[in-house]
Amino acid sequence: MKTIDEEKLRQIVGDANIKTDPSDLYIYGSDSSVHHAMPWAVVRPKTTEQVQAVMRYANENLIPVIARGGGSGMCGQTVPVRGGIILDMKGMNKILEINLKDVYCRVEPGVVDDDLNLALKPHGMFFPPTPASSRIATIGGEIANNASGVRSVKYGATRDAVLGMKVVLPNGDLVNLGARTRVEASGYQLHKLMVGSEGTLGIVVEATLSFVPIPEFRCMGIANFNTLKDAGEAIGSIMASGAIPSMLELVDDVAIKAVNKTMNLGLKEVAAALIFEADGMVREAVDYEINKMKAICQKHNGEDIYASYDPKERDKIFLGRKSLFPALSKYDDNLASTALADDMAVPYSKMAEMAGKIHEIADKYGIVMTAYGHCGSGCMHTKILMDTKRKDQWESARKAITEVYDYVRSVNGTTSAEHGIGLSKAESFKIEKADSLHLLALIKKAVDPNNILNPGKLSQAPEDWVTATNLRYSVNS
Amino acid sequence: MENKTKEFKHLEKWQKTLANCIRCGYCYEHCPMFKYTGWESDAPRAKIITAFGLLSGEVEPSESVSQKMFSCFYCKRCEAACSSGVALTDIFTDAKKDLVEMDLKGPGTTSTTKLTCARCLICLKACPHEARSYDGKNIVVDPVKCQACGICIEVCPAGAATIQNSFGTDRNMLMDRASNFFSTHEAAKAIIFACNWSYYPDLQASVLPDAETRDKNYEILVNMCGGRLEPQLLMAPFLYNAWGVMAAVCPEDKCDHKGNVRAKKTIESLKNTFKSIDIDPERVRLVEIKAGDKAKFKAEIDTFMDNLNKMGPIR
Ligand SMILES: Cc1cc2nc3c(=O)[nH]c(=O)nc-3n(C[C@H](O)[C@H](O)[C@H](O)COP(=O)(O)OP(=O)(O)OC[C@H]3O[C@@H](n4cnc5c(N)ncnc54)[C@H](O)[C@@H]3O)c2cc1C
Ligand code: SF4
Ligand code: SF4
Ligand code: SF4
Repeated sequence: MKTIDEEKLRQIVGDANIKTDPSDLYIYGSDSSVHHAMPWAVVRPKTTEQVQAVMRYANENLIPVIARGGGSGMCGQTVPVRGGIILDMKGMNKILEINLKDVYCRVEPGVVDDDLNLALKPHGMFFPPTPASSRIATIGGEIANNASGVRSVKYGATRDAVLGMKVVLPNGDLVNLGARTRVEASGYQLHKLMVGSEGTLGIVVEATLSFVPIPEFRCMGIANFNTLKDAGEAIGSIMASGAIPSMLELVDDVAIKAVNKTMNLGLKEVAAALIFEADGMVREAVDYEINKMKAICQKHNGEDIYASYDPKERDKIFLGRKSLFPALSKYDDNLASTALADDMAVPYSKMAEMAGKIHEIADKYGIVMTAYGHCGSGCMHTKILMDTKRKDQWESARKAITEVYDYVRSVNGTTSAEHGIGLSKAESFKIEKADSLHLLALIKKAVDPNNILNPGKLSQAPEDWVTATNLRYSVNS
Repeated sequence: MENKTKEFKHLEKWQKTLANCIRCGYCYEHCPMFKYTGWESDAPRAKIITAFGLLSGEVEPSESVSQKMFSCFYCKRCEAACSSGVALTDIFTDAKKDLVEMDLKGPGTTSTTKLTCARCLICLKACPHEARSYDGKNIVVDPVKCQACGICIEVCPAGAATIQNSFGTDRNMLMDRASNFFSTHEAAKAIIFACNWSYYPDLQASVLPDAETRDKNYEILVNMCGGRLEPQLLMAPFLYNAWGVMAAVCPEDKCDHKGNVRAKKTIESLKNTFKSIDIDPERVRLVEIKAGDKAKFKAEIDTFMDNLNKMGPIR
C-alpha cells in the first residue's frame, strides 16, 4: 500500500471529515455490487475548493481518487481496485437554487434524488430520471452513471435532464461545462461526456438540471400473457404505434412465482405480464394513450386487461413489480440474489427472445434467472440467484453471463442500459466497443494523464470480473 | 476467502442472511445515526457489512468495530426500509453479544452512570428492557439489553445516567435546535417532536435553499422515543414565544419502549397546568402515528397548525 499524507488531507478537509480506521475503510470498500477492495482513506469535502485541493495533492502524488455518492452502484464503480482516496461527495448536499422562471435547478452532487423531488413537489415539478434506488442515489452518482428509471421511456435518462455542470479536473482545475439554457448548439458537448463517465474524467461539484411539471393524471394498466412471445410482440407494437407510455414494464413467470411464493400475492402465474402507464394534464389525452395500449395488448392475446386512475388501484397493480427485490432475496434461503448481468438493452423486437434466452441459459447452468425490466426503453433486467458459497456456481455464473452478453451483442443490443459498466461488465463492454476503445483511451489520457481518477474501471477494467477484486461473499474453496 | 466463524457463536447463524442482503443501502435512508453524522460507516448497511467482515475474518474485532455495533437506537427504521427483509437489529444484537464476550463492550448510545449517581434506583424501575441492575455498589448497564431509548437519562434526578453519543437527540441539543429555529424563522410558530418511528416526512440528507425554508412555521425535531419527552423539553419552545407544541408517538401497543405511555402522562399533566393558568390546553397536543403513516402525520400537523392559527399567539 502506498502511503498517503494523512496530515495533508486533514489540513484540507479538517479532522472531522476524514476516516482512516480499517473498520471504516472496509465499509467504504463495497457498494451494491459483488466486489470489495480496501481504500486508503475516506475524505469528505464540503466545498469545491476542498475538492480542488485534494485533487491537486492526489495528482502530484499519483494517488487514485474515487468519487462516491450513495454507494448504490451495482457493478463496482466505487470499489477502489487500486486503493486510493474515496471522496465521499455526500458532504456536498445543498440544493442551491430552484429557478421556476428559467425552469432549472442547481444542486451540489451529494443531493439525494428523492430529496430533490421532495423539494420540487411543492412547486408542482419533478426531476424525472429517478432510478429505483432514488432514496439513496445522489445526483453526482446518477450523472456519472447516466441513471434512468421506470419513467425514462417518456422522460429520458439523466443525460437528457443535465443542462450543465461544474467539474473539478484531475489536476484540480475547475471548469464550467454546458449552459443554463435548454439548447446549446455547437462544440463538443463536454457536460454530456461527463454523463456516464463513472468518475473517470472529473469530479462533478455542481449540476444544473431541468425539471418538468407533475402530470395531473396518471393511469396504470396491466395485461397477462400466456407466452413470452405475445408479451414481447405487444411491447414492440406499443412502441411502434406512436403511443407514449410513461411506463412500460415486463415481469416474467419466474418473477411472478417468486413474488407469490414469498409474499403470497396470489398473482396469476402466467408466462409474462406487462404493466403500462400513461400520464398527462388532460384526462382525455391519457385515456387515448391507455386505450391504445390496451387494444394492442388485446390484439396480442393479452388477458385480464385492466387499468385504473385510482392511486390505491395503481399501487395494487404495481405491487408485484415493486415486491420483486425482496421476493428474489427471500426466494430460497440458500440462494442469494446477485447484481450480475442485470441491465442489458435490446431492440424492442428482441425483448421476448431475450427473456427466453435468459431462461434457457439459466436452465443450462443450474442457476435461477428472472427477466423483468423497463422494456419500454428496451432495458431488460435480470438477477442471478445462486448459492454464493459454492465456487462452481460462480463458474456457472461466469459462463452464463458471457452467453447472455454474446446474445445481446448479436442482436445489436448494449451491455448496460442504466447501471453502468464498472468492473462487472467490462468484458462485454470492451467487445461491444472494440472499434472505439482507443478513442476512450485517448480522451482519458488527455483529461487524466496520470490516470488517477477511478483507475481500473470501464475500459481499464480487467476482463475477468470474478477475479477482479475480492468477492463480497464468502466462497468455500 | 475462508470462513472464520468460530469466535462468533451468536453471529454465525446469520451467515446466509448476510449473503442475502443485496447491499442496496435502502436501510440508511432515515437512520438517525446516518442523518446526524452523514458518514456511511454510521449507517445500518455499514453494520451489516461489518458483521459480514467479522464472520469472514476480513474485519478484526476492535474498539471502533464495537463502537459501530453498539451505536443503535433500535428504532428499526432500517428494517422497515430494507428491500430484502433482513432482520437488522437481531443481527446487531447477536454481534453485540459476541463482542461483549471478547471484552469489546462499545459504549455507543448506551447509557452509563457517572460518579454522581445517587443510587436511588429510579432508572432501574424505569428501564423498559431490564438493562439496568444494581450490584450492591453501582448501577450496572447491560449493553446488549440496552436499546438506547434514553428513558433512564430523562428520569434520573441526579443527571447521572448519560449517553456517550446521542447523535443529536439529547435534551440540550433539541432545545438548542428549537431555539435556533425560532431565532432564524420569522414565521416560526410551533415545534413538532416526533419519535423516529413516526416516519417524519423530511429530507434524508440534503439541505434546501434558504428561499425554500424561510417561511416555515414549524420544525420537526426527532427525539427518538416519546418516553424521553420531559416537561422541560416540551416547554422550551414557549420560551421563544411558540404558539404550540405537538408530539407524535407510536400507537398504544406499538412502542417497544412503552415510551408512548409515559409521553401521554407527561402531556396530560402539561395540559392541566395550561388549563390552570388559563392557556388553551390544545396548544400542547399528542398524536399517535402508526409507523410509516406519512399521510396521517402530515394531516395531523396541518390540523394542529390550523388550530394554532385560530388561537393566535399566547402573548
Ligand atoms: C436496489 C437498486 C436499484 C437500482 N435501480 C436503478 C435504476 O432503476 N436505474 C438506474 O439507472 N440505476 C439503478 N441502480 C444503480 C445505481 O443506484 C444508480 O446508478 C445510481 O445513479 C448510483 O448513484 P450513487 O449516488 O449511489 O452513486 P455511487 O454508486 O456512489 O457512484 C457511482 C459512480 O458515480 C461516480 N460518482 C459519484 N459521485 C460523483 C461525482 N460527484 N462526480 C463524479 N463521479 C461521481 C462514482 O465514482 C461511481 O463511478 C440501482 C441500484 C440498486 C442498489
Ligand atoms: S434501528 Fe434505527 S438507529 Fe439502529 S441502525 Fe436501524 S435505523 Fe439506525
Ligand atoms: S436495506 Fe436490507 S438488503 Fe439493503 S443494504 Fe440494508 S440490510 Fe441490506
Ligand atoms: S432505559 Fe433505555 S437507555 Fe436506559 S438502560 Fe434501559 S434500555 Fe438503555
